[in-house]
Amino acid sequence: MAVLSPELRGEAERIKARYPAGRERSAMLPLLYLVQSVEGRVTRDGLREVADVLGLKTAEVEAVASFYSMLRLRPTGAHVVSVCTNLACALRGAKEVYAAAHDAIGSHAEEMTEDGLLTLHEEECLGACDAAPVVQVDFANHDRVTPERMRELIEALRRGEVSEPSAGRAPRDFKEASWILAGLGDGA
Amino acid sequence: MTQEAVTLTIDGKEVTVPKGTLIIRAAEQLGIEIPRFCDHPLLEPAGACRQCYVEVEGQAKLFTSCTATVAPGMAVRTQNSSEVVHEAQVANLEFLLLNHPLDCPICDRGGECPLQDQALAFGPGESRYVEAKRTFEKPIPLSPLVGLDRERCVLCARCTRFCDQISGDRFIELFARGAGERVSIAAGEDFLSPFSGNTIQICPVGALTATPYRFVARPFDLSSVDTVCPHCSAGCNVKLDVRRGKVVRHLARDNLDVNDAWLCDKGRFAFRFPDDERRVTIPLLRDRGLEPTSFGEVMDAIGDWSRGKRVAFLTGGRLADEDAYALSKVARTAFVTNDLDHRREFAGGEAERLAAVAVTDRALSVTYRDVERAKAIVVAGLDAEQEVPILHLRLRKAARRGARIFVLNPRRTRLWDVAEHVLCRPGQEAHVLEQIVDGEGGDSGVGRAADALREAGEAGVVLAGMRLAEHPLAADVALRAARRTGARFSLVPRRAGDKGALAAGVHPRLLPGGRRVDDPGERAEVEAVWGELKNVVPGRNAKQILEAAANREIDVLFLVGVDPLRDFPDARLARHALENVPYKVVQSLELGSLEPFADAFLPAAAFPERDAHFTTWEGRAQRIRPVRGPAGLSRPDWEIFAGLARAMGGSLGFESLEDLQEESVGLLSPRAFSGGASAWVGAGAPQWIDELTLFTYPLLVDEGRLSEGASELKAALEEKPFLEIHPVDADKRSIADGGEVRVRTQAGQAVVPVRVTPDIAEGSVFVPFNQPGLAANTLLSGRFTAGATVEAVAAAEAAADPERLTVGGGP
Ligand code: SF4
Ligand code: SF4
Ligand code: FES
Ligand code: FES
Repeated sequence: MAVLSPELRGEAERIKARYPAGRERSAMLPLLYLVQSVEGRVTRDGLREVADVLGLKTAEVEAVASFYSMLRLRPTGAHVVSVCTNLACALRGAKEVYAAAHDAIGSHAEEMTEDGLLTLHEEECLGACDAAPVVQVDFANHDRVTPERMRELIEALRRGEVSEPSAGRAPRDFKEASWILAGLGDGA
Repeated sequence: MTQEAVTLTIDGKEVTVPKGTLIIRAAEQLGIEIPRFCDHPLLEPAGACRQCYVEVEGQAKLFTSCTATVAPGMAVRTQNSSEVVHEAQVANLEFLLLNHPLDCPICDRGGECPLQDQALAFGPGESRYVEAKRTFEKPIPLSPLVGLDRERCVLCARCTRFCDQISGDRFIELFARGAGERVSIAAGEDFLSPFSGNTIQICPVGALTATPYRFVARPFDLSSVDTVCPHCSAGCNVKLDVRRGKVVRHLARDNLDVNDAWLCDKGRFAFRFPDDERRVTIPLLRDRGLEPTSFGEVMDAIGDWSRGKRVAFLTGGRLADEDAYALSKVARTAFVTNDLDHRREFAGGEAERLAAVAVTDRALSVTYRDVERAKAIVVAGLDAEQEVPILHLRLRKAARRGARIFVLNPRRTRLWDVAEHVLCRPGQEAHVLEQIVDGEGGDSGVGRAADALREAGEAGVVLAGMRLAEHPLAADVALRAARRTGARFSLVPRRAGDKGALAAGVHPRLLPGGRRVDDPGERAEVEAVWGELKNVVPGRNAKQILEAAANREIDVLFLVGVDPLRDFPDARLARHALENVPYKVVQSLELGSLEPFADAFLPAAAFPERDAHFTTWEGRAQRIRPVRGPAGLSRPDWEIFAGLARAMGGSLGFESLEDLQEESVGLLSPRAFSGGASAWVGAGAPQWIDELTLFTYPLLVDEGRLSEGASELKAALEEKPFLEIHPVDADKRSIADGGEVRVRTQAGQAVVPVRVTPDIAEGSVFVPFNQPGLAANTLLSGRFTAGATVEAVAAAEAAADPERLTVGGGP
């Protein structure tokens, strides 16, 4: 079964057309987000379809996909909670935040909870050190998160609510976040 | 244009090199060795391993000498004169070894490993690292040919750069760049490149290993010889390794004039045929059955059969140059026949005669270097990747250097990403080439090819493959296209012995050096060496020989390194011929399917047992050398021919290889050649009466004899039979991709899986010549094309069909 429906395949072609001839390869990241928006992660089939759209070998696509932690190649929950544990955040208590998330989610890091709802991900610097410690829920930043706040964010997700991020609008879930990152606009 | 020169010093020694030279290359010129892993002179610099540090005076940081170019007055210091550099190199090696396992005792690379060598020469000797190393499941197969032990990898990216820059087959990549970085292939995919073995050879550690060589030998177990690949006319330089008398490996030798540093996987991995268990190394003579005998007896018998009788010789493209020369001479002098041929395609015409002359006069030919430097290249009737693989890599190299390449073929080739393809139905080539000659075609592939050739002038190249030889004088039109613009021209045959056989005159009309037997002046030049030739009428070509044999017009048929049942494009004619010739003499490595027919068998020495030459498609004669003596009683082919001459009561006039070479050199040296006018009088668009034109040619990896025993190669790259058809033709017949079709020709029929693809010219269908289960010559009537009909076969019917994948008995 194709990952991309005929309509989405058309969308993929339009994304590709944004880049100059001979440089279509540059469309790889948005296309990977596009397939991630469908399946909630990038599967083997997704990699193949991106390769197919761009006329590349699957390995060339997987080489890129396996570099970016935003592109998830493993089974992934509907929401991804990323906790930065890099230097600035670590100095401001990220370890405790991460431990809180770990307790609350109750699964091993990088795996998916049994109900398919959540994935906990340990992230490198999110580029918002001034607001350390930083947590992302589906790529939306939450600044100065305490262990307490961490537990609340997860509780909310369990209730089916998405908490307001520190800036901007919260994507509905990881798939929608991927859709936005594919450059396809703010909502679907 | 003179290259600007730059003078600098390295370790205090002055050196002058062209501007743009890398420091590491400049050091090489001074004989200074800088340790390196990722650097490879034929790949673009990567600076991945950091081993090649040097110090540049006045610069704060160390430079990687494989990425930094020289500058005037630069003062470079290597580990030889700089303590800082020495320390950095030691530290870097310690770092590279952090995760490297202590695998040397069980690693195929042990004993010839750049990491081992350089760790010894430049390394710290001891590691301070006590933590756990990276481990991986080992080895993972990238294909049935290539295994990867990831923990041994130093992440130099040589293998991935080869696939990116040289072969263009980007199956492997660096995944998870960063701390978890590793070489990998996409899940569920195979390393399906016919050049995959090169990555093994350039891997500077034992991370990539060859399945056929895994745990087979240690370098100190091997005896080696420098020789040339026998598989195709590319003429790749190889090193052949033998362990206890058995060939265990082929490696590429560097030769920038020929194969750069590469081999195709067939040349690398199809090395077991000389040791195949079916090989026969004693002479045989038919009594009740085929009985072992001596050379003396078998020769006497052949002499008795042949004296005063009608004799013909067929050979393939496997003979070495010396053998071909001896064959050409023995046939004409001792057996007084011009019925001899090495071809399966029948070129004829000026282009072929020119090719025969050009073999000995390279000024008339094309070289790899010409291809590499060309500005415009037209490749007509050739699927280079499948037929002459290293030429394919050269064409890709030319493309990277900016050449405009046009491929005129009925099927898209693997040059698709670097060349413009003009797909034309078989039979249409001459017409299309004529449009190129006339500069017609406007804004089309044809028009662009014509323009490109015109603009390139002498920097143009026209390569005519064997598909052109199928059609009367198509190669001549290609030659005209080249002449019109000053481009260089070459006929590109496929097999290793083809050019040598053409030059030597294993041909019904051409004597050595392309001299015509029916041209008194040219003949006299040969007679001055050979004595008077009693038969001056051009003989029969291969097809005519088989027809004559089938009509009982031939008494003795020599089959030298050829099996017409498998090789000739008409299986039925070949069978009739064999059934109707009183005496069949087989000279080869083995009997194969000729066993029931042979009346005498003459065991030939195999390629690793030979001192001789093969001539590349360019016309470059290269020496092959023996790594062992002839197996059993087998002998070099030329010696067998000398024996045959004696059995006929004559003599070839040479008893040693040196004598033979001395004699032939005169006849094969350059001579004045004035091309005659081609008989071509204008093609006009061809008309087809057939529904579809079936065409076929051998794929690189198939059931050919020289691939016998290459099980891993076949597991990796040998395709099952298939038929390709254009979507328009498929639609008309309600044929769906992936189903099965029945193809019928005048000669036979077969049921084959179908591929519907726009990569084939409309009106054409392709089947490979010799994949397992379908010998396409059962569908042919003497040519490599045939009129055909194709129809869909319902799945149930196909399953029940006993003729599935085999040939039927007529339409
Ligand atoms: S497998 Fe070998 S060639 Fe490829 S990156 Fe690793 S060390 Fe280099
Ligand atoms: S390209 Fe031809 S000569 Fe070279 S390795 Fe392959 S088969 Fe041998
Ligand atoms: S270290 Fe966490 S955002 Fe920079
Ligand atoms: S050889 Fe220079 S960085 Fe690897």
